[in-house]
Amino acid sequence: METQVLKQELKEKIIEFLNLIDTKPEDIKDDQPLFGEGLGLDSIDSIELIVLLDRNYGIKINDPKEGRKVLVDINTMVDYIEKNRTK
Amino acid sequence: MAKVYVTGMGIITALGDTLELNRDGLMQGKCAIGKLDSFPSKYAETLLFGEIKHSNAQLKKMLNVNVKGVSRTSLLALHAFNQAIQDAGISEKELSNSDTSLVIANTVGGMCLTDELYQDANQHNSGSEYIASYDCGSVGVFLQDRFKIRGIVNTINTACSSSANAIMYGARLIKKGYAKRVIVGGTDSLAKFTINGFNSLHILSPGLCAPFDKDRSGLNLGEGAAFLVLEGEDSIVDQKIIAEVKGYANANDAYHPSTLSENGDGPFLAMQQALKQAGLTPGDIDFINTHGTGTENNDEVEGRAMIRLFNKVPAFTSTKSNIGHTLGASGAIEAVYCILNLLHQEIYPSLNFKESITDTRLIPEQSYSKTVINNVMSNSFGFGGNCSSVILSKV
Amino acid sequence: MFYIHQTVCISPQITFPEANLEQLIICNENKLYAKEPSYEGIPTGILRRMGKAVRLGVAAALPLFKLNDQLDGIIIGTANGGMEDCIKFLNQIMQYEEGVLTPTNFVQSTSNAVASQLGFFSKNKGYNITHVHRGLAFENAIIDAEMLLDDNKEHTYLLGGLDEISTYNFNIDYLCGYIKKESITNADLYTGKTEGSIAGEGVSMFVVNNNSKDAISNFRAIQTIHTTDDKELAAVFKKFLAENLSDRETVDLFLTGENGDFRYENVYETLESILKEDTVVARYKHMCGEYQTASSFALWLSGWILQNQNVPMHMLKTSLKKNEIANIVIYSNYQGFQHSFMLLSKV
Repeated sequence: METQVLKQELKEKIIEFLNLIDTKPEDIKDDQPLFGEGLGLDSIDSIELIVLLDRNYGIKINDPKEGRKVLVDINTMVDYIEKNRTK
Repeated sequence: MAKVYVTGMGIITALGDTLELNRDGLMQGKCAIGKLDSFPSKYAETLLFGEIKHSNAQLKKMLNVNVKGVSRTSLLALHAFNQAIQDAGISEKELSNSDTSLVIANTVGGMCLTDELYQDANQHNSGSEYIASYDCGSVGVFLQDRFKIRGIVNTINTACSSSANAIMYGARLIKKGYAKRVIVGGTDSLAKFTINGFNSLHILSPGLCAPFDKDRSGLNLGEGAAFLVLEGEDSIVDQKIIAEVKGYANANDAYHPSTLSENGDGPFLAMQQALKQAGLTPGDIDFINTHGTGTENNDEVEGRAMIRLFNKVPAFTSTKSNIGHTLGASGAIEAVYCILNLLHQEIYPSLNFKESITDTRLIPEQSYSKTVINNVMSNSFGFGGNCSSVILSKV
Repeated sequence: MFYIHQTVCISPQITFPEANLEQLIICNENKLYAKEPSYEGIPTGILRRMGKAVRLGVAAALPLFKLNDQLDGIIIGTANGGMEDCIKFLNQIMQYEEGVLTPTNFVQSTSNAVASQLGFFSKNKGYNITHVHRGLAFENAIIDAEMLLDDNKEHTYLLGGLDEISTYNFNIDYLCGYIKKESITNADLYTGKTEGSIAGEGVSMFVVNNNSKDAISNFRAIQTIHTTDDKELAAVFKKFLAENLSDRETVDLFLTGENGDFRYENVYETLESILKEDTVVARYKHMCGEYQTASSFALWLSGWILQNQNVPMHMLKTSLKKNEIANIVIYSNYQGFQHSFMLLSKV
């Protein structure tokens, strides 16, 4: 799958999974931090995103702390998915 | 205001079915946390739990329960309730008098019946025998009906601080004249629901929990029940007085649904206000039964809050290292353990501790000892920032 | 016992932000859903996680927080708060066979999720509790508030009752026989001779303290009992009236939780016969539906009646003869075995 297409897909999935009311895929910039100031996600969201990676891309991350290194922004997530997906 | 006394107790945990067995286990530093024996879960082999080694069928037989629709949560409650009223010598007549109240706590209710609940929630044809037994209120309703309790009956769910709040509510009912005697307690059974819930938050320990240890990595779930009979000073005729409910308080951390704030305002305020309510100073507390779940968040924050409040943090342990975290039952079970401390003037060892948390450097008691204990504090801090502290005193 | 000041009610009727009770909102499918507000006070980042009970509870409390920034605690009664999230999480467990699961449903499923969010929103570190004893969950919250206010004369508390209709709750209630098998309209709730009632939901919040100045109403007494014995219930009711009303006082309005379930009709007749002939009898469950904390709607409604000195026609079981309504007794009955009496009076 092309990177750009994957980025779009990932944004749509994140919005749906985390129930981000009022957010459209075009509102999420590729390098916008997911946590803290950027998209404003929190610790429960980081766990939910790990589940998203598992269910949609077959990627298992067992430690949420390790997960935070991957879940920086769309770019890092897509990069990780491309390298590790099993689905 | 008149004092509130404990005149009877009952308990069932992974350490045993009686007060004696529980005390023996605590004295010996026994760890009753291990693999699940008879619980059908994916995690039976991989995680460790404080399971009570009686099946539901066995419990029903032991307790002479022949009606349908009684959940494990209710069965454990019945066991501890029976013991408590027997210990206090309460007659059937007194039980069903309108001046006897029941205040119970639990978080699981009938949700331990995962498969039945799934069926009943999702299909429209006919219900299982448990159809009216899923909510938290079902346990209190079961006991009220079985014993014909006519006074105020209440169920409280504030997550892990539930039964500490039940003790508080019961004591206050007596002080305000709503009841002469109140049977207070808590119960929770292991459930796929809670196992998977806590697992989804990544706070279950892969091994044995290690409260206040630097390398702690989560909690072990347990199950159990405990009840205490509370009676007001004015009602004491010839009942044996076991301990006094000296003080209590409930405060909220107001920070996050499932994590305590860094400063631990909730825990701090609960402890501080319990002391004030008891008319005691921090220096009067001889021992603390901590909430001490073994999670990264709780133990660090609880430690910090203790340091904030106490010039010198008293001796403390976590009995969750013996039996796991019994959720809605923990406040009541730990209150019973505190009363054992008071009755026998002894401290039981906290288990699985190797090195203290860097920031707080607190060390729990790790060996059994005989010591003077006049006032014990028992802390319970739950999801939703619900923090409660109960102080029990020697009589 | 205490005074009720500001209140908010979000219900299936027009009660929020303004109340218009003359017009009965009709439902035809045995479910009276609350009219959900806009939720504009709740940041979307937090709203996205909330189940219905939680967001209704927060929406109802927010206006009260604006008017009272020094609350001393939050006391909530809810029997099934969070049940929808509970079963959503359960469905996940089954669907993914205890695999990797998302925690939000679990965290939101605990009964104390509402009280906890209210504490969070108001940054209130005071007393915070959730009572869950089914049809007496709200009544226990009231008793708790009474005791707290007796101990703390200068304090003010937020007291509330709420429950939601969730798909799953409804299914379980239906299988228990609590919901009518046939579809009826709420306007006809009391005319049938069948078992069950219609499902309802809502939230009612009250700011309570010991200060009579500017209060809407005076909450004077409460009595709860578990019984299926009509005679025992009647005796408790007589005692309640004798102990709480002076000889010069009358019960002007008897507001009952009659819910159309014909199995419990006798109870209402028995209790109504104890009252004087000029007591007006009215009913409320056709407005809010049946749920465990519906008595919180009744309490809000009673406050409204005392303020407006009016009982909407569709509520009346007997005709309105009274010039003044000063004392209201609310009778709540949940599934024929959990009962409560409350006395609310004009200030």
